[in-house]
Amino acid sequence: MAEFVLELSDIRKRYGPLTALDGVSLAVRPGEVFGLLGPNGAGKTTLLSIAAGLLEADRGTVQLFGHQLSRQRRDLRHWIGLGTQDLAIYPDLSPRENLRFFGRLYGLRGKQLEHRVEEVLTAVGLADRANDRAGTFSGGMKRRLNLAVAIVHHPRLLFLDEPTTGVDPQSRHHIFEQVQALKAAGVTIIYTSHYMEEVQALCPRIAIIDNGKVRACDTLPNLLRLLDTTIRVRFSSLPADWGDRLAALPGVKQLRPSGTEWELVVEEIGPVLGRLAHECAAAGVELQSATTAEPTLERVFLHLTGRELRD
Amino acid sequence: MPILTLAAKDLRLLIRDPRSAVILLLTPLLLILVLGLALGEGFGEKPDDRLRISIVNMDRGLADPRAYPGKPWSEVVIDDLSATQDIRLEMIHDRDEAQRLIDKGRRPAVIIFEPQFSDRMTRASFLSSAEAVNPFGRDGIDFAQLQVTILTDKTQPVSASIIEQVTQVTLLRVVIPWMIGKAFARVGDDHFMAQVATRLLEVKPLPAEVLAELDPVIQKLLAALTNDPDFKLLVLQEFRETKGSNLLEATKDAAVVARRTPDFQRAVHKAFQKRAILERLGREIAFGEVLTPSVQRQVGPTVKRGVSDLFSNYNFEATTWADLVNSPARYANAANRVEYRDTGGSGWLNRGALRYQILVPSYTVMFAFFLVLSVGWLFVSERKHGTLIRLRAAPLTRSQILLGKLLPCLCVSLVQGFFLLAAGRILFGMTWGARPELLVPLVVSTSIAAVGLAVLAASVARTETQVAVYGTLLVLILGGISGSLMPRDLMPEQMKTISLVTPQAWALEAYAQLLASPQPDVGVVFTSCGVLWAFGLVLTALAWWRMDLD
Repeated sequence: MAEFVLELSDIRKRYGPLTALDGVSLAVRPGEVFGLLGPNGAGKTTLLSIAAGLLEADRGTVQLFGHQLSRQRRDLRHWIGLGTQDLAIYPDLSPRENLRFFGRLYGLRGKQLEHRVEEVLTAVGLADRANDRAGTFSGGMKRRLNLAVAIVHHPRLLFLDEPTTGVDPQSRHHIFEQVQALKAAGVTIIYTSHYMEEVQALCPRIAIIDNGKVRACDTLPNLLRLLDTTIRVRFSSLPADWGDRLAALPGVKQLRPSGTEWELVVEEIGPVLGRLAHECAAAGVELQSATTAEPTLERVFLHLTGRELRD
Repeated sequence: MPILTLAAKDLRLLIRDPRSAVILLLTPLLLILVLGLALGEGFGEKPDDRLRISIVNMDRGLADPRAYPGKPWSEVVIDDLSATQDIRLEMIHDRDEAQRLIDKGRRPAVIIFEPQFSDRMTRASFLSSAEAVNPFGRDGIDFAQLQVTILTDKTQPVSASIIEQVTQVTLLRVVIPWMIGKAFARVGDDHFMAQVATRLLEVKPLPAEVLAELDPVIQKLLAALTNDPDFKLLVLQEFRETKGSNLLEATKDAAVVARRTPDFQRAVHKAFQKRAILERLGREIAFGEVLTPSVQRQVGPTVKRGVSDLFSNYNFEATTWADLVNSPARYANAANRVEYRDTGGSGWLNRGALRYQILVPSYTVMFAFFLVLSVGWLFVSERKHGTLIRLRAAPLTRSQILLGKLLPCLCVSLVQGFFLLAAGRILFGMTWGARPELLVPLVVSTSIAAVGLAVLAASVARTETQVAVYGTLLVLILGGISGSLMPRDLMPEQMKTISLVTPQAWALEAYAQLLASPQPDVGVVFTSCGVLWAFGLVLTALAWWRMDLD
C-alpha cells in the first residue's frame, strides 16, 4: 500500500493573469480526514479539481494511490468520490435513479448495485423519498443526495467541497454523521468547509490555503501552537519585585507588562490561574480582573492570513 | 456499457421532458393539420387550367379483338379526347368512386363507358338492319344508344354542360366517319346492285323514250353484226339447214340478206322513230331486264367512283375523322391522361391526401432538425445541474460521454421520423409510395444528419436561451432555404440548386421520389441518403472537435 493516498507536488495553476495555485504541495495518508481551510477564492476548489482529475495543472504532479494521475489512468477514478460544492444531481430523476445511474457508471451491477443504493439512501436519510423527483426536494435533502451520489460506488478517497454549506440543521447533522461514519470506515477524506468547528471536529490534519499558497499544514494541536495562550490580569497594587514573582510562577513562559495590566503567556490556563490566585493571596494583592485567551483555528487562520475566514 | 447507461439516462430525461414531446411530435402534427386546412386541396400541384374530364371506362371491348378498330371503341374515344389541347383526362377506376365524387360536388360530371359500349359502337350504322344501332338523337349523339352514361352534379350545371358538349363532339368525330365509311362500302356492291335491279324489274313497260334512245345502239349493233364474217357464216349455215343442202341457194339467199341489210337497218331505225311501235315493243319488257348481273358488276363500282368524284373533298371510304375530311391525323397524347388520385383522402381526419404527401415529409424533415433544441437543452442542463462535472470525474472517456449523448438523440430522432410518417398515413391518409421499405434508410439518414447538426449546435450554445434562439433560427433558416416551408417544386431552379447546401433539401429530394413519384428513382434516394450520412458525419466530427466538456 502506498504511503500516501494523495500526493500533490508543486502544483501551479493560472487563469490568465490570476494565479490560482502557486506551488502547492500536500500529502494525505490513507484513512486520514484532511481539512482544507481557506477563504473564498483561495484556490481550494481548483486544488480539488486538479486532485480529482477534472482540471490539469500547469505544473506539478498528482499522485493517487501511488500512481501519477493522467488521462491514461482513468481507472484511478474508480476510487475517487466527488462531493461537489454546487449540487451535481439530476433533478428530473429520483434519488434511487440518480444513485443507480452513477453506481452503474462506476461498474456496480445487479444486486450489488441495488443493495448499495438502498444502503446509501438509508444512510443519508432519503429512503422514504427514494422515488420522488429530486427536483422537488429541499436544499438540504439535495445536499444529502449529492453526498450519497459521491459515495455510492465505495470510493477510497472522497473529496468533500463545502458539503454543508447552506443546509438546514437536520441535513447538516445527517451529512456530518455520514462523514463520521466514512471516517470510521477508513475512507480518506479531503474536506473543505467554511465551518471551522466542522474542520476542527473532523480533521486531525489541516492545511490552510490562501492566495494559492499553503500557509500552514499540520495537525490541529501543532497549528494551535502557532499562537500563545495568554492571561491578561489587573491588580489593585503592585508590590516590589511583583513582576519577577509572576514570571517565576511555574507554567508562565513569558510576562509582558501592558499599561496597567500584565499579559502572561502560559502553557495551560487552568494551573497557572490557580497558582496566580495563590500568589496574590500571599502577597495581599487583589486580583481585579483576569481575561484568558486560548488559540483557536480561527485565530490561527487570522494570524496566518491576516483576514477572517469569511472575508 | 457506460455508453448505454448514459444513453438510457438521457432517454429517460428526454421522455420526461414535455418540451421535447411538444416540439418534436405534437407541433409538426398540428402544423401539418393547420396548413393542410389552410392551403386547400390543390396545394402542391402545379397550376392546371385545362378542362378536366373524368372518365370511368367499363367497356368490355370488341367481341372479335381483330375487328376494326383493333381495340375497344372507348379507347378510340379517349384517345381522341386526349388529343384535344387544353383537356386532361382523369381515369377513375370504378363507378362508386365516381358517384361519390359527384355526390360530394368534387366533380361536375363523370363520363362512364358502360360494358356494352364497344358492341354498340360496332353496330352503329346508317344501314337498315335489325342489329343496327342508330346513335343519333335530338341533341346529336344519343348517349343511351351508345351505352354512355354521364353522371352530373346538379349544382355545377355549366361545367357539367361543357363536359357533356365536349363528349358529344368527340363521339360525333368518332361515330360519323365510322358509320359513313361502313355505309359507303356498301354503295355499288353486288348486293346493292342486285337490289337495284330487283327494284327495276318491277318498272314495266319499258318507256318508249328509253327504246328510242336505244336506237343508235341497235343500229351500231346491227351494222357491226352484219359485217362480221362469222355472222355471215352463221347466216349461210342457217339458210342451208332451213333450205336443205343446196349450197347455191343458201349462198344466194345470204347475198340477198347482205345486200338488203342497210334497208333493214333503215327500216328498224324508222320503226324506232314511231312511238306507237315503241310502246308496243316496250309493253312486255321491264326496266330491270336491262340491268343484267354483268351490267350490275360494271355499274356498281362506277357508281361508287362517281359519287366519290362528286364529293372529292371527302373520303367516304374512311373510318376516321381525319381521313374523312382529308385533314392531318389527331394523335393521342398520353401526357393528358392521368389516373385518378384520391386528393380527398381518407385517414381518421379525412383531410385529403395529396397535400399531405408534401406537407408530412416537409415537416418531418424540418422538425427532425428541431432536435437541435432537445439536444442543446440536454447538454446545457448537464452543465446547469453540475452533473457534467460528475461525468468527467467518473472513469469515462470523452468519447463515451459524447456517444452516450448521441445515441439517445438518434433514437429520439428515429422515433420522431417514423411516428410522423405513421401519423401522416393514419391521420391524413397519405401513402408511403411504391417503395415504402426505402423510407427506412431515408428516415435513418435524415436522423444521422439531424443529430450531427444538433450536436454541433449544442457545442456552441452555453445556455438554454442560446439553444432556443440559435436553434430555432438555424432550423427555420435552413428550412426556408431547403424548401421545407413551401413545396420545392415552387422554387426557382437556381434556388433549388443552392438549397442543396442544406441536408434538408437532400432529404426532401428523396422523399419527393418516394412519396410523389409512381416509380421512384432508387438512385436518387440512395444518393440523398449518402449525402445525408456525409452531412451527419462531418457535422458530428466538427462538434466532436469543438465540444468543450470543461
